[in-house]
Amino acid sequence: MKPVKIAAVLMTIGVALFMASTVAAQLKSPDDVKTGLRLLMQVSNDFKRQITAKNFPRVPREFKEYKESAEAVRTAIKDEPAAFKAKAETKLRAAVAAFQKVSDMSSNSPDADKLMAEHGKAVTAMNALFELFPPELRPDPNAPAGIRAPKN
Amino acid sequence: MLAPLWILLGCGRRPASERQVVDLYIASDGDFIAFKPDTLTCPTGALVRLTFHHAGRLVTVRHNWLLTRADQLEALSKDFAANDGVLSKDDPRVLAATPMCDKGETVMVQFIAPPPGDYPFLCSTHPEDMRGILHVTK
Repeated sequence: MKPVKIAAVLMTIGVALFMASTVAAQLKSPDDVKTGLRLLMQVSNDFKRQITAKNFPRVPREFKEYKESAEAVRTAIKDEPAAFKAKAETKLRAAVAAFQKVSDMSSNSPDADKLMAEHGKAVTAMNALFELFPPELRPDPNAPAGIRAPKN
Repeated sequence: MLAPLWILLGCGRRPASERQVVDLYIASDGDFIAFKPDTLTCPTGALVRLTFHHAGRLVTVRHNWLLTRADQLEALSKDFAANDGVLSKDDPRVLAATPMCDKGETVMVQFIAPPPGDYPFLCSTHPEDMRGILHVTK
């Protein structure tokens, strides 16, 4: 590859990264976005907990909370540019649909192993949404939802 | 002859009028499954008036505040996880509890602070995540 072409490719990548970081840095309501994304993660973790505990009847209720959390993300980005909102909406719908599948499966044919596998796919769809946002706004997948153990 | 009356009035207990009254406030951490603050302090024997506010705005989850003993915490949590957080009124493991409340609501409970020590509190609908400690001092 000629040096000019390499320079052009690098410049294109640089511009793309700059544009992405600019969009991220210019989010109108970063705190609300952070809250919405963290809620999605929190509810996803609850899905996992209910499946592990075989509390299958509770999974559809978690899905209701997931939809409410998705709505919180929509509200948080409502003033963003149309192109960004469209991209986020596509990813958000995919994530919601994936979690709905887990919820439906829990009602129709509850099987912990199959549900966990489907939950894994849903988490992948959710992570694709998270990647649209700057790292500092994304939830930590390993962070506990709250205080798990009492402090002595 | 006066014994029944004496019992009714609370034999051996400090009259309520002399009892120290302590007001405590605690809330959910917005829509997140956590208490804020997650530690509270009161003196033993005090009349505690605890106010719990569900500070959530976005997600429809219900919370409450419930006090128990450290050695009962895990068994109680397990039971709540299995029975959807339903609280039996007569459960001896529960020292005090507010009613369940929805987002934006505030509820209260009043109780006499137990002997000195650290007592865990939790939300019965999120028993593994939503926890804290009440420090009861001498």
